[in-house]
Amino acid sequence: MADRQVIADFARSMGIATSGLRAQAGRMRVISENIANADSTAATAGGDPYRRKVPTFSSELDRTLDAKVVSLGRIRPDQTAFRVKHEPGNPAADAAGNVKYPNVNPLIEMTDMRDAQRSYEANLNIISATRRMIQRTLDILKS
Amino acid sequence: MSINDLPGLTALRTRMQWHQERQRVLSENVANSDTPNFKPRDLIEPKFDTAGASAGGATGSLAMMRTSSSHIAPLDGGAQSFDENRKTGFETRPAGNSVNLEDEMLKVASNQMDYAAVTSLYSKSLHLLKTAIGKG
Repeated sequence: MADRQVIADFARSMGIATSGLRAQAGRMRVISENIANADSTAATAGGDPYRRKVPTFSSELDRTLDAKVVSLGRIRPDQTAFRVKHEPGNPAADAAGNVKYPNVNPLIEMTDMRDAQRSYEANLNIISATRRMIQRTLDILKS
Repeated sequence: MSINDLPGLTALRTRMQWHQERQRVLSENVANSDTPNFKPRDLIEPKFDTAGASAGGATGSLAMMRTSSSHIAPLDGGAQSFDENRKTGFETRPAGNSVNLEDEMLKVASNQMDYAAVTSLYSKSLHLLKTAIGKG
Protein backbone atom coordinates (compact mmCIF):
# COMPACT_ATOMS: atom_id res chain seq x y z
CA MET A 1 0.00 0.00 0.00
CA ALA A 2 1.39 3.34 -1.05
CA ASP A 3 0.38 5.28 2.04
CA ARG A 4 3.27 3.79 3.99
CA GLN A 5 5.51 6.12 2.01
CA VAL A 6 3.83 9.32 3.15
CA ILE A 7 6.95 10.84 4.63
CA ALA A 8 9.15 9.41 1.87
CA ASP A 9 6.99 11.20 -0.72
CA PHE A 10 7.40 14.50 1.08
CA ALA A 11 11.11 13.81 1.42
CA ARG A 12 11.24 13.69 -2.37
CA SER A 13 9.67 17.15 -2.60
CA MET A 14 12.25 18.38 -0.10
CA GLY A 15 15.07 16.76 -2.10
CA ILE A 16 13.96 18.47 -5.31
CA ALA A 17 13.72 21.85 -3.57
CA THR A 18 17.16 21.29 -2.05
CA SER A 19 18.61 20.69 -5.52
CA GLY A 20 17.13 24.05 -6.50
CA LEU A 21 18.72 25.73 -3.48
CA ARG A 22 22.10 24.21 -4.33
CA ALA A 23 21.91 25.31 -7.96
CA GLN A 24 20.93 28.88 -7.05
CA ALA A 25 23.67 29.07 -4.42
CA GLY A 26 26.20 27.98 -7.07
CA ARG A 27 24.84 30.66 -9.37
CA MET A 28 25.30 33.26 -6.60
CA ARG A 29 28.91 32.12 -6.26
CA VAL A 30 29.56 32.71 -9.97
CA ILE A 31 27.85 36.12 -9.83
CA SER A 32 29.89 37.23 -6.83
CA GLU A 33 33.05 36.09 -8.64
CA ASN A 34 32.07 38.28 -11.60
CA ILE A 35 31.32 41.30 -9.43
CA ALA A 36 34.51 40.92 -7.41
CA ASN A 37 36.59 40.76 -10.59
CA ALA A 38 34.77 43.59 -12.39
CA ASP A 39 38.02 45.59 -12.59
CA SER A 40 40.67 42.84 -12.66
CA THR A 41 43.07 43.68 -15.47
CA ALA A 42 45.73 41.38 -16.93
CA ALA A 43 48.94 40.68 -14.99
CA THR A 44 51.09 41.23 -18.09
CA ALA A 45 51.14 44.21 -20.43
CA GLY A 46 48.61 43.80 -23.27
CA GLY A 47 47.19 40.52 -21.85
CA ASP A 48 43.56 39.49 -21.52
CA PRO A 49 41.76 40.52 -18.29
CA TYR A 50 39.20 38.48 -16.31
CA ARG A 51 36.49 37.04 -18.57
CA ARG A 52 32.93 37.03 -17.28
CA LYS A 53 31.55 33.57 -16.35
CA VAL A 54 28.02 32.43 -17.13
CA PRO A 55 26.36 29.70 -15.04
CA THR A 56 24.15 27.20 -16.90
CA PHE A 57 21.36 25.03 -15.53
CA SER A 58 20.23 21.64 -16.65
CA SER A 59 17.39 19.40 -15.60
CA GLU A 60 18.36 15.82 -14.89
CA LEU A 61 16.62 12.70 -13.62
CA ASP A 62 17.73 11.78 -10.12
CA ARG A 63 17.33 8.00 -9.87
CA THR A 64 17.15 7.77 -6.09
CA LEU A 65 14.47 10.48 -5.93
CA ASP A 66 12.86 9.45 -9.24
CA ALA A 67 12.29 13.09 -10.08
CA LYS A 68 13.64 15.82 -12.31
CA VAL A 69 16.12 17.74 -10.19
CA VAL A 70 18.07 20.78 -11.32
CA SER A 71 21.84 20.92 -11.40
CA LEU A 72 24.38 23.59 -12.15
CA GLY A 73 25.90 22.62 -15.48
CA ARG A 74 29.20 23.74 -16.94
CA ILE A 75 30.23 27.31 -16.19
CA ARG A 76 30.92 28.91 -19.55
CA PRO A 77 32.96 31.99 -20.44
CA ASP A 78 31.14 35.02 -21.85
CA GLN A 79 32.52 35.67 -25.34
CA THR A 80 31.55 39.34 -25.65
CA ALA A 81 34.30 41.89 -26.26
CA PHE A 82 36.31 43.47 -23.45
CA ARG A 83 35.95 47.12 -22.56
CA VAL A 84 38.98 49.04 -23.86
CA LYS A 85 40.23 52.24 -22.22
CA HIS A 86 43.16 54.44 -23.17
CA GLU A 87 45.42 54.53 -20.10
CA PRO A 88 49.11 54.74 -21.12
CA GLY A 89 50.27 54.89 -17.48
CA ASN A 90 48.61 51.58 -16.54
CA PRO A 91 51.05 48.64 -16.15
CA ALA A 92 48.61 46.40 -18.09
CA ALA A 93 48.53 48.75 -21.11
CA ASP A 94 49.69 47.46 -24.52
CA ALA A 95 52.09 49.25 -26.86
CA ALA A 96 49.38 51.67 -28.02
CA GLY A 97 48.48 52.59 -24.42
CA ASN A 98 45.13 50.74 -24.39
CA VAL A 99 44.02 48.67 -21.40
CA LYS A 100 41.46 45.86 -21.69
CA TYR A 101 38.96 45.74 -18.85
CA PRO A 102 36.72 42.72 -18.05
CA ASN A 103 33.43 42.33 -19.96
CA VAL A 104 31.49 42.48 -16.68
CA ASN A 105 28.50 44.82 -16.50
CA PRO A 106 27.65 45.41 -12.82
CA LEU A 107 24.05 46.26 -13.72
CA ILE A 108 23.52 42.86 -15.39
CA GLU A 109 25.17 41.08 -12.46
CA MET A 110 22.91 42.86 -9.97
CA THR A 111 19.80 41.93 -11.94
CA ASP A 112 21.01 38.35 -12.16
CA MET A 113 21.65 38.32 -8.43
CA ARG A 114 18.11 39.47 -7.69
CA ASP A 115 16.79 36.73 -9.95
CA ALA A 116 18.89 34.10 -8.14
CA GLN A 117 17.67 35.43 -4.81
CA ARG A 118 14.06 35.22 -5.90
CA SER A 119 14.41 31.63 -7.10
CA TYR A 120 16.22 30.72 -3.88
CA GLU A 121 13.36 32.14 -1.82
CA ALA A 122 10.81 30.25 -3.92
CA ASN A 123 12.61 26.98 -3.18
CA LEU A 124 12.74 27.82 0.52
CA ASN A 125 9.02 28.48 0.38
CA ILE A 126 8.45 24.98 -1.06
CA ILE A 127 10.44 23.46 1.80
CA SER A 128 8.46 25.28 4.48
CA ALA A 129 5.14 24.42 2.78
CA THR A 130 6.16 20.75 2.65
CA ARG A 131 7.18 20.86 6.30
CA ARG A 132 3.79 22.26 7.25
CA MET A 133 2.12 19.44 5.30
CA ILE A 134 4.20 16.82 7.14
CA GLN A 135 3.20 18.48 10.40
CA ARG A 136 -0.47 18.18 9.42
CA THR A 137 -0.01 14.46 8.76
CA LEU A 138 1.59 13.98 12.17
CA ASP A 139 -1.26 15.96 13.75
CA ILE A 140 -3.70 13.17 12.76
CA LEU A 141 -1.96 11.00 15.33
CA LYS A 142 -2.54 13.55 18.08
CA SER A 143 -6.30 13.80 17.72
CA MET B 1 -14.15 -4.87 7.45
CA SER B 2 -11.29 -2.79 8.72
CA ILE B 3 -11.25 0.97 9.17
CA ASN B 4 -9.09 1.27 6.08
CA ASP B 5 -11.89 -0.04 3.86
CA LEU B 6 -14.38 2.71 4.75
CA PRO B 7 -15.21 4.55 1.51
CA GLY B 8 -14.96 8.01 3.07
CA LEU B 9 -11.55 7.36 4.53
CA THR B 10 -10.32 5.72 1.35
CA ALA B 11 -11.34 8.78 -0.66
CA LEU B 12 -9.60 11.07 1.83
CA ARG B 13 -6.43 8.99 1.74
CA THR B 14 -6.38 8.99 -2.04
CA ARG B 15 -6.83 12.73 -1.95
CA MET B 16 -3.91 13.07 0.49
CA GLN B 17 -1.72 11.01 -1.82
CA TRP B 18 -2.73 13.22 -4.70
CA HIS B 19 -1.69 16.33 -2.76
CA GLN B 20 1.66 14.77 -1.92
CA GLU B 21 2.27 13.89 -5.53
CA ARG B 22 1.24 17.38 -6.59
CA GLN B 23 3.65 18.88 -4.08
CA ARG B 24 6.42 16.87 -5.73
CA VAL B 25 5.44 18.04 -9.22
CA LEU B 26 5.24 21.68 -8.07
CA SER B 27 8.64 21.50 -6.37
CA GLU B 28 10.05 20.14 -9.64
CA ASN B 29 8.63 23.19 -11.42
CA VAL B 30 10.12 25.63 -8.92
CA ALA B 31 13.52 23.93 -8.79
CA ASN B 32 13.70 24.07 -12.59
CA SER B 33 12.51 27.68 -12.86
CA ASP B 34 15.78 28.67 -14.57
CA THR B 35 16.41 25.57 -16.65
CA PRO B 36 16.27 26.23 -20.40
CA ASN B 37 13.44 24.54 -22.31
CA PHE B 38 11.66 23.40 -19.15
CA LYS B 39 7.87 23.33 -19.28
CA PRO B 40 5.96 23.36 -15.97
CA ARG B 41 3.57 20.50 -15.22
CA ASP B 42 0.65 19.96 -12.91
CA LEU B 43 -1.51 17.01 -11.91
CA ILE B 44 -5.10 16.68 -13.01
CA GLU B 45 -7.73 16.54 -10.28
CA PRO B 46 -8.65 13.05 -9.05
CA LYS B 47 -12.20 11.85 -9.70
CA PHE B 48 -14.06 9.61 -7.30
CA ASP B 49 -16.86 7.14 -7.94
CA THR B 50 -19.75 6.71 -5.49
CA ALA B 51 -17.90 4.06 -3.48
CA GLY B 52 -15.17 6.57 -2.70
CA ALA B 53 -12.54 4.82 -4.76
CA SER B 54 -10.71 6.88 -7.30
CA ALA B 55 -11.99 6.24 -10.80
CA GLY B 56 -8.79 4.89 -12.26
CA GLY B 57 -7.20 3.01 -9.38
CA ALA B 58 -4.12 4.54 -7.83
CA THR B 59 -3.36 8.22 -8.13
CA GLY B 60 -0.75 9.13 -10.68
CA SER B 61 -2.30 6.89 -13.30
CA LEU B 62 -5.89 8.02 -13.44
CA ALA B 63 -7.56 6.36 -16.38
CA MET B 64 -9.96 7.92 -18.86
CA MET B 65 -13.62 7.41 -17.95
CA ARG B 66 -16.12 5.95 -20.40
CA THR B 67 -19.44 7.59 -19.68
CA SER B 68 -21.26 5.88 -22.53
CA SER B 69 -20.82 2.46 -24.08
CA SER B 70 -20.89 4.00 -27.55
CA HIS B 71 -17.60 5.81 -26.86
CA ILE B 72 -14.40 4.41 -28.24
CA ALA B 73 -12.53 2.58 -25.47
CA PRO B 74 -9.33 4.35 -24.41
CA LEU B 75 -6.10 2.74 -25.43
CA ASP B 76 -3.87 1.18 -22.80
CA GLY B 77 -1.27 3.63 -21.59
CA GLY B 78 -3.34 6.53 -22.79
CA ALA B 79 -4.03 7.54 -19.20
CA GLN B 80 -3.31 11.23 -18.85
CA SER B 81 -2.20 12.02 -15.32
CA PHE B 82 -0.26 15.17 -16.03
CA ASP B 83 -1.84 18.44 -16.91
CA GLU B 84 0.78 20.06 -19.10
CA ASN B 85 -0.67 23.43 -18.20
CA ARG B 86 -0.82 25.07 -21.61
CA LYS B 87 -2.58 28.12 -20.22
CA THR B 88 0.66 29.79 -19.17
CA GLY B 89 2.42 28.86 -22.41
CA PHE B 90 2.32 32.43 -23.67
CA GLU B 91 4.77 33.47 -20.99
CA THR B 92 7.66 31.46 -22.38
CA ARG B 93 10.95 33.27 -21.90
CA PRO B 94 13.58 33.44 -24.63
CA ALA B 95 15.41 30.43 -23.13
CA GLY B 96 12.28 28.31 -23.67
CA ASN B 97 11.35 28.19 -19.99
CA SER B 98 7.74 28.94 -19.11
CA VAL B 99 7.73 28.58 -15.31
CA ASN B 100 5.91 31.45 -13.63
CA LEU B 101 7.13 31.60 -10.02
CA GLU B 102 4.13 33.56 -8.75
CA ASP B 103 1.77 31.04 -10.28
CA GLU B 104 3.68 28.14 -8.73
CA MET B 105 3.73 29.79 -5.30
CA LEU B 106 -0.02 30.26 -5.53
CA LYS B 107 -0.47 26.59 -6.40
CA VAL B 108 1.81 25.49 -3.55
CA ALA B 109 -0.15 27.60 -1.07
CA SER B 110 -3.50 26.24 -2.24
CA ASN B 111 -2.14 22.69 -2.29
CA GLN B 112 -0.99 23.09 1.28
CA MET B 113 -4.31 24.55 2.42
CA ASP B 114 -6.30 21.80 0.70
CA TYR B 115 -4.06 19.21 2.30
CA ALA B 116 -4.70 20.77 5.71
CA ALA B 117 -8.43 20.60 5.02
CA VAL B 118 -8.23 16.92 4.03
CA THR B 119 -6.15 15.94 7.07
CA SER B 120 -8.52 17.70 9.45
CA LEU B 121 -11.47 15.98 7.73
CA TYR B 122 -9.65 12.68 8.19
CA SER B 123 -9.08 13.24 11.91
CA LYS B 124 -12.68 14.40 12.28
CA SER B 125 -13.86 11.14 10.66
CA LEU B 126 -11.71 9.15 13.05
CA HIS B 127 -13.16 11.16 15.90
CA LEU B 128 -16.69 10.32 14.73
CA LEU B 129 -15.79 6.64 14.76
CA LYS B 130 -14.42 6.98 18.28
CA THR B 131 -17.67 8.62 19.37
CA ALA B 132 -19.63 5.76 17.78
CA ILE B 133 -17.73 3.12 19.72
CA GLY B 134 -18.13 5.15 22.89
CA LYS B 135 -14.62 6.36 23.53
CA GLY B 136 -15.04 9.91 22.37
